Amino acid sequence: MSAGHDDHGTGGLDLTLHIWRQESSEAEGRFETYPLHGVSPDMSFLEMLDVLNEQLTLEGRDPVAFDHDCREGICGSCGMMINGQAHGPERETATCQLHMRRFKSGDTIFIEPFRARAFPLLKDLVVDRSAFDRIIAKGGFISVNTGSARDANSLPAAKQDADLSMDAAACIGCGACVAACPNAAAMLFVGAKVSHLGLLPQGKPERSRRVLAMVAQMDAEGFGNCGNIYECEAACPKAISVENIARLNRDYLLASATERPSSAQGEGA
Amino acid sequence: MTSRLQTFLRSSIGKKLLMALTGLSLIGFLVVHLAGNLTLFVDSDGSAMAAYAQKLADLGPLLWIAEAGLLLLFVVHIGLGMRAAMENRDARPSRYKDAAPKGGRSAASVTMIATGVVIGIFVVIHVIDFRLMKGLLAHPDPATLAKVVVARLSTPLGASIYFIAMIALGVHLWHAFQSALQTLGLRHPAYDACIRKTGAGLAVVVAGLFAAFPVLCLIYKGNWPWS
Repeated sequence: MSAGHDDHGTGGLDLTLHIWRQESSEAEGRFETYPLHGVSPDMSFLEMLDVLNEQLTLEGRDPVAFDHDCREGICGSCGMMINGQAHGPERETATCQLHMRRFKSGDTIFIEPFRARAFPLLKDLVVDRSAFDRIIAKGGFISVNTGSARDANSLPAAKQDADLSMDAAACIGCGACVAACPNAAAMLFVGAKVSHLGLLPQGKPERSRRVLAMVAQMDAEGFGNCGNIYECEAACPKAISVENIARLNRDYLLASATERPSSAQGEGA
Repeated sequence: MTSRLQTFLRSSIGKKLLMALTGLSLIGFLVVHLAGNLTLFVDSDGSAMAAYAQKLADLGPLLWIAEAGLLLLFVVHIGLGMRAAMENRDARPSRYKDAAPKGGRSAASVTMIATGVVIGIFVVIHVIDFRLMKGLLAHPDPATLAKVVVARLSTPLGASIYFIAMIALGVHLWHAFQSALQTLGLRHPAYDACIRKTGAGLAVVVAGLFAAFPVLCLIYKGNWPWS
């Protein structure tokens, strides 16, 4: 692969980065400007930030804090607003899989944290996404007997349902949907989790209780209201469909109407 | 049982569902209102519109009940919209420097509150003007009713207010129909395109026909060349 068309033959891109710096959740934040030279077009966006941080560290300055882990697009740790877009300009791509060849030498890049009341900022580009964990804790599980594994295929699942469930299960919980939504709503995330588990036979027993509990937690976390704007789907690195939001609406309505109070379920809980 | 309904209606999804149902009902009202208005163009002496108004007036108390229901639809729809807008503003206290869309939003979907406010202000003016002050329905006189309507819509100010509001209505409806069905959970790849086209067609036809009133009144002053 050629080393990019606009790197001036000097082996790299020259960039001007404007990065949101904020000491802590209480501190005042501001953009700081960092020129960066000779960035390889083959670097990922995070590797570019690594290079910047090396440089800052050598200069005795505080490196930019950002979340990352697997760097192969499956953990959901990384995530930042790059020029006003969650995970940057590439579709279906997490920040770690975004490569610098997507940019031109001379580009100015604004890098901001995901912004939402439900995702309080911790430092620089790092936000606390535990709100998602608390939603998951409300129903992101299935109840099975432990012990030896069941026979494969002993539980028939329709191919179509299995496919839809797997599509929803691709959600890595990165929070780009919330970040990109003009209303900071979390409906795509919750829709994906509810669909992922509720479509399969293993997740059916808790389907009603799950959707009620997860939506209650979502509302309690202070996310915004869904306006069916669909910016979430466009920003999702896994292209989770807003069809999952329709399913969430359907399931919630049905569960609200039919779920029995737990005292009437004879479960003693 | 009451608490179950309360829990539902207090949830974000419950409120959205109510928003969708009231919105769809208001679309139904718009279509009927439009059909009634079109009687203006049936003849130049206004007798078709007067006959229609007479039928409405003959409903007596039923008309008040219908109007009370209509008022309730507006109040619930607008109230929920305002509340959602405030909650959404709270949900993102600090803004992005330059939020750049990635292809999901449309001009209509991100301006629902703005177009809603324009429509809301228009409805207040419209109701005061045509329903309360002139008391048109109370005296559906064939000699005056259509003339009053035409006179109102053929002034530059009246026509402009009406026309601008109808553009806002069209933009609002462009997003509204498919959004309401999505909220009701009615979405399936097989019907997506059909639902979008229906919503877009509804927006263009309803808003377009309503917007034709001030335009035709300005041009013909009530003497329709086809009647």
